[in-house]
Amino acid sequence: MPIITINGKVVSIDYGKTLLEAAHLAGITIPTLCHSESLPHFTSCMVCVVQDKNTGRLLPSCSALAAEGMAIETDSPEARLARNNSLNLLMSEHAGDCVAPCTTTCPAHLQIPLMIRQIADGQTNAALATLYDTIALPAVLGRICPAPCEKACRRGHIDAPLSICLLERFTADEASTPPPQTGTPTGKRVAIIGAGPTGLAAAFYLARAGHGCTLFDDHDQPGGQLRYGVPDSLLPRAVLDREIQRIRQLGVSFRMNTRIGGGITLQELRADYDAIILAAGKTPAEHLKNWGLIATGKGITVDAHTLRTSDAKIFAGGEMVHAGHLAVRAMAHGRTMASSIDQFLTGHAVSGPVRRFESRLGRIKEAESRELLKEADPHSRIVPRAGSGVGLSAEEAIRESRRCMHCDCRKAEACRLRDYMELQKTGPLHIPTEGRKPVTRNISHPKVIFEPGKCVKCGLCVRITAQAGEKTGLAFLGRGFDAVVGVPFGDSLEAGLGESAGQCVKECPTGALAWKES
Amino acid sequence: MKSMSTSQSPAVDLSIIGPIVAECGRSPDAVIPILQKLQNHFHYLPESALKRVCELTEITPASIAGVSTFYSQFRHKPVGRHIISICHGTACHVKGADLIQDALCHHLGIKDGEDTDAENVFTLERVACLGCCTLAPVIKIDTVTYGHLTPETVSGVIHDFLHLEKRKAVPRQFDPSHAPSAGLTEIRIGVGSCCVAGGSQAVRQELEDEIRKLGVAAVIKPVGCVGMCHQTPLVEIVSPKGAPVTYAKVRPEEAAGIVRRHFKPKGIIRQLRSGVTRVMEHLLTDDEWEPVTRYALDVRDAPVCAFLGRQERLATEGSGNIDPLDLEDYCAHGGMVALKTCLVQKNPTGLIHTITQSGLRGRGGAGFPTGQKWTLVHNATGPQKYIVCNGDEGDPGAFMDRMLLESFPYRVLEGLILAAYAVGASEGVLYIRSEYPLAINRIREALSRLEAAGYLGRSILGSEFSLSLRIVEGAGAFVSGEETALLASIEGLRAMPRFRPPYPAESGLWGCPTSINNVETLALVPWILRHGAARFAAMGTGTSTGTKVFSLTGKVLRGGLIEVPMGITLREIVEDIGGGTGNGRPFKAVQIGGPSGGCLPASSGETCVDYEALAAAGGIMGSGGLVVLDDTDCMVDLARYFMTFTQHESCGKCTPCRIGTKRMLEILNRLCADQGQQGDLEHLEQLAHATRTTSLCGLGKTAPNPVLSTLRHFREEYDAHLIGRCPALKCRALIAYQINEKCIGCTKCAQACPADAIELLPYQQHVIQQDKCTRCDTCKQVCPVEAVWIGNIDKTASTDSGAPCR
Repeated sequence: MPIITINGKVVSIDYGKTLLEAAHLAGITIPTLCHSESLPHFTSCMVCVVQDKNTGRLLPSCSALAAEGMAIETDSPEARLARNNSLNLLMSEHAGDCVAPCTTTCPAHLQIPLMIRQIADGQTNAALATLYDTIALPAVLGRICPAPCEKACRRGHIDAPLSICLLERFTADEASTPPPQTGTPTGKRVAIIGAGPTGLAAAFYLARAGHGCTLFDDHDQPGGQLRYGVPDSLLPRAVLDREIQRIRQLGVSFRMNTRIGGGITLQELRADYDAIILAAGKTPAEHLKNWGLIATGKGITVDAHTLRTSDAKIFAGGEMVHAGHLAVRAMAHGRTMASSIDQFLTGHAVSGPVRRFESRLGRIKEAESRELLKEADPHSRIVPRAGSGVGLSAEEAIRESRRCMHCDCRKAEACRLRDYMELQKTGPLHIPTEGRKPVTRNISHPKVIFEPGKCVKCGLCVRITAQAGEKTGLAFLGRGFDAVVGVPFGDSLEAGLGESAGQCVKECPTGALAWKES
Repeated sequence: MKSMSTSQSPAVDLSIIGPIVAECGRSPDAVIPILQKLQNHFHYLPESALKRVCELTEITPASIAGVSTFYSQFRHKPVGRHIISICHGTACHVKGADLIQDALCHHLGIKDGEDTDAENVFTLERVACLGCCTLAPVIKIDTVTYGHLTPETVSGVIHDFLHLEKRKAVPRQFDPSHAPSAGLTEIRIGVGSCCVAGGSQAVRQELEDEIRKLGVAAVIKPVGCVGMCHQTPLVEIVSPKGAPVTYAKVRPEEAAGIVRRHFKPKGIIRQLRSGVTRVMEHLLTDDEWEPVTRYALDVRDAPVCAFLGRQERLATEGSGNIDPLDLEDYCAHGGMVALKTCLVQKNPTGLIHTITQSGLRGRGGAGFPTGQKWTLVHNATGPQKYIVCNGDEGDPGAFMDRMLLESFPYRVLEGLILAAYAVGASEGVLYIRSEYPLAINRIREALSRLEAAGYLGRSILGSEFSLSLRIVEGAGAFVSGEETALLASIEGLRAMPRFRPPYPAESGLWGCPTSINNVETLALVPWILRHGAARFAAMGTGTSTGTKVFSLTGKVLRGGLIEVPMGITLREIVEDIGGGTGNGRPFKAVQIGGPSGGCLPASSGETCVDYEALAAAGGIMGSGGLVVLDDTDCMVDLARYFMTFTQHESCGKCTPCRIGTKRMLEILNRLCADQGQQGDLEHLEQLAHATRTTSLCGLGKTAPNPVLSTLRHFREEYDAHLIGRCPALKCRALIAYQINEKCIGCTKCAQACPADAIELLPYQQHVIQQDKCTRCDTCKQVCPVEAVWIGNIDKTASTDSGAPCR
């Protein structure tokens, strides 16, 4: 039995076993895209590269056998460089968006396509839960948001963008489930200065996570600019009150008519509470300086990702940080601070909300837009019959939501390529590329969608169908860079995948093969 | 989803498929032979035929689709009546193959992205190398080869071919007696002791008499022993124009004929031995004879005269003297001696010992010690072992193996039989590119003759050793030269390499221990066994022994195939054997090792031909391509040329090679197209590093070599391209043609310009319209007074005409 070391751990393993298997035995994970335990190795992706320190050689761990005395490092600088090179090369030809452009553009990163699919399926309550994941006051935003997402909607290049804002409003008005609790009471207390959109959103997420929240505001009612800056015709006060009431129901307490520096000082709050949020809206610069925080003429200086100030206990957002009038951005700040404070209060490193790696297509060609349109209802944008002041009816909302082209990746959360891109410590290197593969979608299969632009040519599906003895099967067509995975003789995807569809979708490391509906 | 076939003839008669399947078999590994036969029949692969094959055999649709789209031999679309193969080998590239391709497209009206003309008469096809490098640039129309093309002669070639077709005429063979001779010709006669013993004095007398009689401009020069003593007496004719011609075993009564043949317009002598005649027929030089030069299918580069420079003939022993298929002739020249001796006197271990002692290393490029490989296979356990001859020579500009297979089939086979005996293989395969039909035919014929003579089959020469050999034809994939890809190809799969270990010596063909040896390596084996390991090891350097065959091409006076001892310097090869660039321009660099190799500058000329020394200098031994470059060759363009090749030939299995070569090529294309960007060179280096260190097989690992070696030795040329200048004035996007005041107004350029970029202005200085000019070089070639000159486009000039500057 060869005895080797992996990252310093001594491993004794049977003859004929690979380094990947040996690493597994030692509890060490090595990233790989083309390997499957149920198939012989293929040595294609070159992501699983490790280094033998004795020889300096780089070895694909999925295929290289463990041999006596090897001193394997899975994360030496050379191995990491090689792995990152392979990943960056794969990414340089990856034609797909992890996240739909609407979501990317939304300051709150609302998962719009998911919400739309839920509306289309008549699952309005589920759609509301999706909204609550990122937006604390959806009924409010559904009325006043200028909807930058709609400008990014790819459907806009064909006829008109989806009515995302009206769909949001429809969901918030129609569904009635209370916001779900995400954590148990922690006994921690957070003081939030300012009950505008930023403060309300922060309170919403902190309270859901189990933290005690008190909102301080010098007005007599909460809402800030939403109440005192937006005309009633745009945002009926009843709608605002209803959403604030939901926040109140989460256990948040409000101390209105209280001005910091007036009845209570920041220092007192700082002593009484576990963390402070400053979200009092536009504040004169000289005022900010009194609080002992580092600030510029434009606002309090904060970490851009965590919104933490120079005082580790104090976070600041909204117009206290920089000027801007987007309510959705203000609410996004609230959620960011809630995430940071939750990390802070639970003893984790403060990093703000999870920011994932995103592959982005950017501009696409008209032919590619048409390709995406294949999955969408071709009819034009629905104008609410009752007038936009009233919003979409249930039937209209469902029809409108069917116009969505589903630009997001079906496997955004199950994509190994995306996961591994995030592991790059140095950050992905941009490799100059002349053009990329076209975005195409094969939707002929009743359940599976095939997007060749996302294929990394790992050959898993080709090998799975061959091993299963599928009559038609899949094949690599062509050679080299231009090779694609396809069905022989232009036959249907259904024939090619046969009975192996499920296994192919499961093993496909990217979104190239995915279930149409999750 | 990519469809395999786009257009179909309405009715395809499938009745041929049954017999083809009956002949090739029904098992999955029969897929490539079946496809080859289908294509021979239909000239492309109709989808209905492929489906029928799947019905009749165990071959799956996935397999037939994968395999038929992998190999470039296979076509899925109907083609024109005639195929024009445009050689893009290295020699043709440096002599303007791209210009020829453009001129053909222009002449035939073939649009971008298409390959067939509107009338479906001609289909254009890029080929890696036709192996006639000394005729460069070359095209082949069906079976007729045209050499020394220029954009201007393209229309004449098409006309000539169509005329030929109408007359159903057979292309004539080149007769060297038409070659104009100038200056004094030397007639050399060997006066070494063997030559004298062979009767050279009498021959010399006859030669002198005939020269006097005809009064021709020739001198007789007695020369010392040339080391081919069994061929005496030797006469060599060395004229200032054309390659030297050697006559072996000349009898006094033939001497007058030799003189007359060389100094009279029409040669009449036919009584010389057939082998000698063949050499003369195939004799080629770098000179142009007439605008359209047409050759038969089997036109080949002849070896450069054996006695020029320090050549040693081992693998090519008896070059020009042995009838390739005459087994008796082969045996009379020492053939089969090694085999007979070994079967009787040597056990396999002893044989391997001799090879190990000789220091023989694989000639395919990597240089793995042959004795060690055989030992591994010999010691491997298993009821069945295989021997494979790797004849998938694919480097553009290299065709040593083809020459060996064609000219010395018995020698290669003797080496293969000995190898099989050494390792204990009872079955073997010769894997030969289908682009080498003559080699395949000769080997096939040689195999049957060997079997008939008892050298193959059961109980060879009465011994207990049995061996059966068969030929497998490659189907157009450079990567199948990689040993594991080659095995995959024999097994009927896409030629994708796999990770080693296990090495084929342990688990090769069908999982059995397999020794895979290169053609040249095998051809050296009989010599070593006949002459002993010590004599072989005495040649060369410490770690590189014996000889190496190279195809010497490019900007060199005497191109062709040479066999030189290891340890010879590159300068000796280029200058002593090749005669220098021959065009008065300075020798700039040699490209050695083809797409896996590197460019070594003239300053590295003292580098020895030695595996380690070449690698240290940034090149590789490679399989034997050696292209000489002068100062008009652009190193960035050359790197781009090789990267185009490897990128196209990458199998696509592993990420670094599949995408890395593509990205490198994109940068090189940009640099040559005046679109270089800041950071391009750094990206190029990073990509080269990634591709070299993590690619699965040798193709990918060595693919960056042409880039890395040129970056190392000629970085200033890359820097120049970044700012839009091509110092060699080669990259078309960076240069402009202009006519200067030397112009006499003869209108030749205007009439020849295929792009109508020059207005006819009799007796006036002509002007090239830059927006129309395609930089095809025609005007420069036809100008009688050298009034056309090339300069880099001056980016600082305010004119929008792109005026050139020096």
